[in-house]
Amino acid sequence: MAPPSLKMELSDSVQRGLRSLGDESVVDHATFPALVDVCFRSLLSAGRDAGLLEEPELKQVEGVLLKRIHAATTTFILEAVRQNADESTISSCLEDLSFSSERIEILYSCYQKHKKELERLLASIGKQPAHITDVSWRLQYHVKNGVVDKVNEPFYLISLNTENKGSPEDITFTCTMEQLQDMVGKLKDAAKSAEKASQM
Amino acid sequence: MEEVDKILILALKQVGTELSEEVGSVKDFTSELIVEAVVRCIRVIDPGLGSPLPTSLPPGMSARFRVGMSLAQACQDIGYKGEIGYQTFLYSSETEIRSLLMFLVEKLPRENAEASDQPTGKSAILQRAIAAAIKAQLVEPWLPPNCRLPLHGETQSLGVMHSFHKQPLSLPYCIKDPGKKSLKEVKDYQRDFLPPVTAQLAHNATVAASLLEQHTAELSVAQEWYNEWNSQGLLSRLTPQDYRARKLTRLRKRIEEQLRSAALPPTESAFGGLGATSDLSDILQSFRGSAASAHTLTKGSHFTHSQKFTFTQETEAVPSPARRTDDNHHSQQEELASLQQQFQQLCSDVDQLTTELKHLSVTNAQVLDEFKQRERQNNELEEKIQLKKKTVDLLPDAENNIVKLQALVEASAQRVVNLASQWEKHRAPLIDEHRRLKEICSNQDMESSKKLSEIKVLHDKIRVSTEEAKKKEEIHKQLVTELESLPKDVSRAAYTQRILEIVSNIKKQKEEITKILSDTKQLQKEINGLTGKLDRTFAVTDELVFKDAKKDESVRKSYKYLAALHENCNQLIQTIEDTGTILREIRDLEEQIDTENSNKTVANLEKILEDYKAIRQENSALAAKVREG
Repeated sequence: MAPPSLKMELSDSVQRGLRSLGDESVVDHATFPALVDVCFRSLLSAGRDAGLLEEPELKQVEGVLLKRIHAATTTFILEAVRQNADESTISSCLEDLSFSSERIEILYSCYQKHKKELERLLASIGKQPAHITDVSWRLQYHVKNGVVDKVNEPFYLISLNTENKGSPEDITFTCTMEQLQDMVGKLKDAAKSAEKASQM
Repeated sequence: MEEVDKILILALKQVGTELSEEVGSVKDFTSELIVEAVVRCIRVIDPGLGSPLPTSLPPGMSARFRVGMSLAQACQDIGYKGEIGYQTFLYSSETEIRSLLMFLVEKLPRENAEASDQPTGKSAILQRAIAAAIKAQLVEPWLPPNCRLPLHGETQSLGVMHSFHKQPLSLPYCIKDPGKKSLKEVKDYQRDFLPPVTAQLAHNATVAASLLEQHTAELSVAQEWYNEWNSQGLLSRLTPQDYRARKLTRLRKRIEEQLRSAALPPTESAFGGLGATSDLSDILQSFRGSAASAHTLTKGSHFTHSQKFTFTQETEAVPSPARRTDDNHHSQQEELASLQQQFQQLCSDVDQLTTELKHLSVTNAQVLDEFKQRERQNNELEEKIQLKKKTVDLLPDAENNIVKLQALVEASAQRVVNLASQWEKHRAPLIDEHRRLKEICSNQDMESSKKLSEIKVLHDKIRVSTEEAKKKEEIHKQLVTELESLPKDVSRAAYTQRILEIVSNIKKQKEEITKILSDTKQLQKEINGLTGKLDRTFAVTDELVFKDAKKDESVRKSYKYLAALHENCNQLIQTIEDTGTILREIRDLEEQIDTENSNKTVANLEKILEDYKAIRQENSALAAKVREG
């Protein structure tokens, strides 16, 4: 896997929110796991449940503070997933914010449980070119046209079956022999450089 | 041998051979294992040579034979000097296999040594990780969309992509100034109505993007502020709040200046197209225009009413509809023209009035000024008049009054002198104090600038040390990962210790050997001496007895005996020597028998017999097939 990043940088507001989350006098033992769980779930099911912080377990924490903690925690989680933080990074980061080891344990286990899904969520942000899955071709012969009486050239009709965003799509074009050779050469080059990149 | 075997097995495991835990030494290797181990080693050493070789033995006997032959060939190609053939793999003997494996393991490229020589650093690690990821993705086969499970999401094309779309979030921690109390209404809103951040936007990809963006923005703002404060803020000797406030006012002033300079010459910019300045003048114009139109509405209402009235009357008089529309049109135009004229007139009126107004306001200001001046003059004059009045009052009793006045003047002069001396008295200490304070001030200034420079140095130090700490942490992490990736069961120290032990053992043995050698040499010397002595004694005796033998018969007999004795003794010695060599030979042979026994000869022979049978069977089966075919 990717190397662990060395230190997560957190803004002041996030640090303040996390400090309150780690503070035993603000969030007590019974509330902490529920709150962490809510934060993770809310990231994965965002935009659906405005009342997610109104669960009975979370009533103990004051409303504005709770929202503040929630915002900070979700930001922290996203940053951690984005940097592919490992256990030591997360625990050192949380230790700096005066979390107890027990709480770090709870948060980390939750993080591991949801990490894959969150990674997928982050990976789905962005753009991706279409994925070529198959190709069909036809060799045709150009005999003559309105200007030239004798052309007599073969040409290829290529149809690339691509898949974009999960739906199939066809790209169709014609090319002469040289163009096809050029394209095949370039594709081979690309494959070769991908292979080379994998053998560092 | 155990140590050697352990090292060998470890190396083979690193190459990729699947060895179970029970295999503890080369003795336990089966033919399959040997073949797999050797093939994996060859593949690592020379991929071109090793790739056509199979890692497992085929079931057919003849195929096995061929595999054995090709393996032996490959080993010889790599440079193995020892005796090797198909039998090495199929009918293995421990020593042969050990020497072969030792050779192969020594030939293995030292990957770890190279890896530690590579440039280390974040980028190298990242590149390696990228390479690993690409490799993993290249290995993965493509799956049609229908067969895809969610867990394939990373390697196959992702289902639905969302572009990075960021929307502002309303966060409840906007208390930038802890001293500033936020409004109660705002608090109520945040507590009761503001949805949590993740519920503010419709889609969770957008939420993630927005949260990350927000965080990055906050971080970069903090970073920028930190840099600016360290480079400029500290030098300005202000508190952070003051520094911020000053910057804010400076910015505001600059904006104001810009605006003013842009708004002043509207005529210049009228040709310049639609700049900001012309916009401003447009706005001003539009204000003026709307004011003017309002003016016409109120002023010209009577006129328009009367006009309308007359026109409507006229149109009513004409019955034809076409005519009427024509007339209507005409009348409207006329009305428009007259209205425009009127409007223009009014506009000019307004302009005139505004200039007049300006003029008047200017004159008003002038008049006010004059008025103030006059008032001042008036006051002065009044004061003068009062003074004069007093002098006039004093005139009747002039002499008396003059004396009085002189006394008064003298008294005041006295008082002035008094006051001056007092002032002097006070002044000296005050000036002293002022000097002292000034000195203190300058001292403090110096001190503060010194401290400032110290602070700067400290800041630099802090930065440098944090960087160093970061770097060191990085190196530490890297080393830890490297350590983790290293095989755990190799304890280097133990190995070196053992090697040292072995070396010392060898030294001891060497000493013993030299001792024995010297002993042997001494013995040899003694033997040689003795033989020499014997020879010499014999020669002397022989001569003496021979001399006497000529004279005496009995002595001749004894001479014969002597010769016989000498011969017999020689024979005896010869026999003893022969026995020694035979004993040595016997020992050699016994050793050979032992080695042969350890080579599992009997078992191997049985195996060979079985394999021979199997080959014959295969051959006959093939022959039968040929015949059938």
